[in-house]
Amino acid sequence: MVSKTRLDWLALAVTGTLTAVSLVWQHREANRSSGSRPANTTLIHSARRLNRGAGILAGAVLLDSAMEHYRGQFENRAMYTPLITATLSLLASSKGFADLTPHSGKLRNGIYIGTVLTGVAGSGFHLWNVTKRPGGFGWTNLFYSAPLGAPAALILSGVLGHYAERLRSETRNIVPRVLGLPAGQSMALMSAAGLIGTSAEAGLFHFRGSFQNPAMYLPVTAPPLSAVLLTASALAGANRPHLRWASRLCLRFTLLLGVAGACFHALGAARNHGGWRNWRQNLQAGPPLPAPPSFTGLALAGLAAQRLLDEEQSVKAHYLGWHP
Amino acid sequence: MSDDYLTDALRNPRGRDGRAPDVFRRGGWVPMREYPDDELVDFVIVGTGAGGGPLACRLAEAGFSVVAFDAGAWWRPLEEFASDEAHQEKLFWTGERLCDGDNPLKLGTNNSGRAVGGSTVHFAMVSLRFRPEWFKSRTLLGYGLDWPLDWQDMWRYYTEVEQALKISGPVRYPWGPKRPRYPYRQHEVNAPGLALARACEAMGIAWAPTPLATVSAPREHSPPCVYRGFCVTGCATNAKQSGLITWIPWAVKAGAEIRDLAMVGRIETGEDGLASGVHYHREGEWRFQRARNVVVAGYAIETPRLLLNSANSRYPDGLANSSGLVGKNLMVHTNQAVWGTLEEEVRWYKGPPSLSLSEHWNYEDSGKDFFGGYAFMSQGPLPAAWAGAQTGNHGLWGQALVDEMQKYNHQVGLKIVGETLPQERNCVTLADERDEFGLPVARVTWSECDNDRRLVNHAVDFMRRGLEGIDARDIWAEADGTAHLMGTARMGSDPATSVVNADCRSWDIPNLWICDGSVFPTSGGVNPSETIQAIALRTANRIRELARRGEL
Repeated sequence: MVSKTRLDWLALAVTGTLTAVSLVWQHREANRSSGSRPANTTLIHSARRLNRGAGILAGAVLLDSAMEHYRGQFENRAMYTPLITATLSLLASSKGFADLTPHSGKLRNGIYIGTVLTGVAGSGFHLWNVTKRPGGFGWTNLFYSAPLGAPAALILSGVLGHYAERLRSETRNIVPRVLGLPAGQSMALMSAAGLIGTSAEAGLFHFRGSFQNPAMYLPVTAPPLSAVLLTASALAGANRPHLRWASRLCLRFTLLLGVAGACFHALGAARNHGGWRNWRQNLQAGPPLPAPPSFTGLALAGLAAQRLLDEEQSVKAHYLGWHP
Repeated sequence: MSDDYLTDALRNPRGRDGRAPDVFRRGGWVPMREYPDDELVDFVIVGTGAGGGPLACRLAEAGFSVVAFDAGAWWRPLEEFASDEAHQEKLFWTGERLCDGDNPLKLGTNNSGRAVGGSTVHFAMVSLRFRPEWFKSRTLLGYGLDWPLDWQDMWRYYTEVEQALKISGPVRYPWGPKRPRYPYRQHEVNAPGLALARACEAMGIAWAPTPLATVSAPREHSPPCVYRGFCVTGCATNAKQSGLITWIPWAVKAGAEIRDLAMVGRIETGEDGLASGVHYHREGEWRFQRARNVVVAGYAIETPRLLLNSANSRYPDGLANSSGLVGKNLMVHTNQAVWGTLEEEVRWYKGPPSLSLSEHWNYEDSGKDFFGGYAFMSQGPLPAAWAGAQTGNHGLWGQALVDEMQKYNHQVGLKIVGETLPQERNCVTLADERDEFGLPVARVTWSECDNDRRLVNHAVDFMRRGLEGIDARDIWAEADGTAHLMGTARMGSDPATSVVNADCRSWDIPNLWICDGSVFPTSGGVNPSETIQAIALRTANRIRELARRGEL
């Protein structure tokens, strides 16, 4: 029994708390990183952050697809595939996170590429599942058939991991480049795209849930805002400290939102018939617990991109002959 | 007896001693205001269903003193609704009535309820708007008669009902003028609903997920629907937005008193000719509640029964009956179906019974050899109801029945809600026989007319071709069946040809109102509950307005 007024207050309180925590965190982080670090360490640190982001996404996909495909009784053998690849991606990511060397892991990279391909195939399967039903590409099927956006999380996990590995192998270059762009910029754009896509999926399903809890608006506002600020700060260059500051803050908020979202989804499950006592049904009938942490994974990637942008700029500044 | 606690509400009134059952908490109570019998309350409302419930709520919220009576019990859905079709007949009005005419009605399941919340406790939750033209069907479509209501005005009240009940409906509704988005999203369409969709696609017409009064996401005290499927026997989870868990609790909160197990037998009129209160039977005795206004909201049988039984020397033909139309023009919806068997498993008992529908023949006027329209919906009869259809209309027995029931999980069906025309010969009158309260029982007379039959034939033929289009086997048509009740106290613009005006106020007695499905001049081809509720909200608004102007 949750009244509308209580939900309003809860949403407001959570927004306030997340903002406050993000601000404090940002403040502390600024003090800590005032001393400059050697470039290599930063790159490896960023790569590890990316590994961690890839791992979180893989973990989310693993749990989510396990639950949803179990619900679908693994009717098609292919429904086991994301469980396997997400597990591999999760293992590769934890290995990568523990790896402090500046060498990319060939096996890890292979796994990440496999993960991407599985995600692409999964998207195809889900699209087929939607369009084969009566009503085709209509709202009913977008709401209740195989979710179109879900396999994309697997693609993102693989892409983040692949980036991490590419980054490690770039430590010899002065300005590391990934896919033709400076690494920081390239990663920023990729994280922003991931945030937008994931937010679109949250938007679709929160629309299905009629935004009955005002907090359901958070994941369709904070992540896109993060994406816009991140893209802008990647393209704007060094002389926009306020933009960078706002982008970081927003990313931190999104990162925390991923955790808060899982709690909100737990509340959502509790508001189903029978509440948590009926967990075996309500974990499936209620909002998916593993979905919101995708935002955490992507925000981590965005923050890693921010760090790289810093690094690139300090390197540039160094070669231009002045020190920031 | 072990089921004693399940039927306790039938024996012991619960709305008393200053409290009412809390339908959202097991064993819980909420405070309820009470009025003594001798207090002159602003409104007495007889009936707490789709008409009386919203009216009691809104009038109480407007500050009027309100006492609403219901002959039925005040149930606690979370504790007392069994997953058992036979047991749940406790929600139906199964008191004795005499049914005759060429097509005697079967009363109970799908046309009357006896509980606080009325039939909304066991309705199928289908929440549809009238086609705008139906409010002027004589002028625009050439049959029936015009309502004294403006469709755009009604459109606003429909929106209010949909918002209040958080109707879960499709993002885009394919028929009629643009309507605001339903407050909650459509439900997932189950397998029989998808069969309807494929049949419609085969026939080249539109279909849609049905707008339903059961929530597709959490709402305050209601969990989202778990697709348990026992909707028409009473929802045990409170996902269904019945009057019992919406208007009634809101009314109690706003200060209305609800008296359950209270059968109103007669409306008293004073020397001034105005209604002065009601005689009601509760806890073994007849009592009298004084009132400034009396609203009758007992649905199309009990409303005329009460008005006719309240005849006195001043009104020898019954109250509000100077037109002679009280009890006349009883309408139903034809409810024929076409059934078939699919190769694949369907399991049609899962979820609300009608998760998809087509209103094509409500909005398409060409290609018809009849007046009026019909909607058709996907079906999911529970096993006992299905066995009833087999032994009844299908005429199966013995091994043939067993064989047919084996196909239960593979069967699909399409069923209509078909408009019938108002006819004066179809009526509710008083019989000589008496019920347990000593009140004359209702005689319910209904015969279909040629137009009704032509509509049914068109529908059965169309739906049969639909099922053939999806390769269903063993197709058979259920030729008999009706649902819902309307008419018997029609609204209109002329006191000579109607019982009440557009505000549901009787022409004869200005403080006597009628607010339920009885006031429908025509029946339309959709389930009536949303229209009844919209009329009730409109009436409440009009009463406020009239009170403000001193015209009450």
